[in-house]
Amino acid sequence: MMISSDVLAILVTVALVVVTLSPIVLIGLLTKDWKRGKLW
Amino acid sequence: MNNTVNSAMLDPATGWSILALFSLVWIFLGWFWGRKAKGLDDFMLAGRNVGMALGVATAMATWVTSNTTMAAPQLAFQLGVWGMVGYSLGSIGLMLFAPLARRIRLLMPFGYTSGDFVRLRYGKTAWRVFLLISLFYAFGWLISLGMAGGVLIHALTGIPYQYGMTVILAICVLYTLLGGLRAVIGTDFIQTIIILLGIGMLCWLAITRLGFDDIHSAVAQSRPELLNLLMPAAIMFLFNNLLFGVGEIFHSNVWWSRAFAFREGVGFSAYLTAGAMWMPIPIVAGFIALAVPALGLNVPAADMVGPMVAAQLSGIAGAVLVFIVVFSALASSLDSLLAATADLILQDIYRGHLRPAAGEQELRVAAKLIILGLGLGAWLLCLPRLTTLAELLYFTGAFVASTIWPIAAGLYWRRTNAAGATLAMLLGTGVGLYSYFSIGFYVAALSGAAVSMLTVIITTWLWPADFNWQALRAETEPAA
Repeated sequence: MMISSDVLAILVTVALVVVTLSPIVLIGLLTKDWKRGKLW
Repeated sequence: MNNTVNSAMLDPATGWSILALFSLVWIFLGWFWGRKAKGLDDFMLAGRNVGMALGVATAMATWVTSNTTMAAPQLAFQLGVWGMVGYSLGSIGLMLFAPLARRIRLLMPFGYTSGDFVRLRYGKTAWRVFLLISLFYAFGWLISLGMAGGVLIHALTGIPYQYGMTVILAICVLYTLLGGLRAVIGTDFIQTIIILLGIGMLCWLAITRLGFDDIHSAVAQSRPELLNLLMPAAIMFLFNNLLFGVGEIFHSNVWWSRAFAFREGVGFSAYLTAGAMWMPIPIVAGFIALAVPALGLNVPAADMVGPMVAAQLSGIAGAVLVFIVVFSALASSLDSLLAATADLILQDIYRGHLRPAAGEQELRVAAKLIILGLGLGAWLLCLPRLTTLAELLYFTGAFVASTIWPIAAGLYWRRTNAAGATLAMLLGTGVGLYSYFSIGFYVAALSGAAVSMLTVIITTWLWPADFNWQALRAETEPAA
């Protein structure tokens, strides 16, 4: 049973969207910690 | 399409320039963040006050190693779709560790290492068995990282393997020495951002240059087994990798030291978020390897597939990008491993076995000497490039998977006893190693974890202990 091109595309696209958004989430969290004086 | 990568590779001078630039940045930051470290807690555990953003990033960066950026493409190239999906299940370990991190902080707010827990929970015999497993694994991981550094630099720049490996080890040792865990965690944040942006860009490049349909049809034509969802070895690998990841995280001081270093209330959310954000990375990195047939590339060694595809896709820019990404991935894990293993040796070997009465000043000097010694030891073991990256990494699977149940049960079940935990680690490791050699690397962790689980459950049921949780706090609390 082979994975179809469409399923492969969905799997990789979803993964890629999360990877692309992650830096934004991290920088947002950093800014929040920084403002509250809770960086480390 | 051109089937060599030589035209896209960097020349040694460019390679040395990038290495020099990033080395200066990491070393400066190591010094900058480490200059205010006053006591041992500051150096070893970043003052035990790390917030959510740095907590998530350091967990992600440490778990994104050369094994993610290089072995994920390698595994996709060898085991296909299940190879990359299986690798992504490594994130389950991070997520399952989230409640454990909260429990560890609650039971041992003043603890230093995973060894502290095993010693206080199960006594000295289990502690020594655990230390052997833990240190063997730490060295296995260090060697795999050092080797990956040499392989990457050689593949992309032509700089001899030994030189590249030496430089990467030396840089990480230097900035970890200067800044301790604070330097490690601070640089981890920047390295995480670089890794995420770099891997994302390479994947977008593969999709826009080649397209899903072309990549899929080229793989279906030349390597159809990579798209097979019923490939037995790959399915075994999937479960094996899940358990291997859980074993690595549950026992290793790399993750325990962060549980101790995070501010109260941060550990659970940080590990859970890091796991969710880490999960797609091996899929994205692994997909790049599936572009090999469409590119018509001739890959001489499986562990070079990632860098080669990146270089082929976007020439010099791709080579530079992948070089920076893998260099960041290597550094972010090497520094964490150096710091956490040094903590383990300092606390459990030096203070635990050799110098129980050592004062703080002596311990700080010893911590730095241990980091230096670890770097030197790893360098010596990396010099001969003995085996491929994945083989070396998975050899330790049998060891670490045998610790999952003794650790998890030890944290939650007061009835789990010392003899059962020790036996579980020994039997699990033995059976895991037997499976590794008689069947294959993809079953070592699976069989080791299964035997360890049965041993813990049966011995807990037959000979229940009655452990007092307060002992963990009382024994690690500093004197007033």
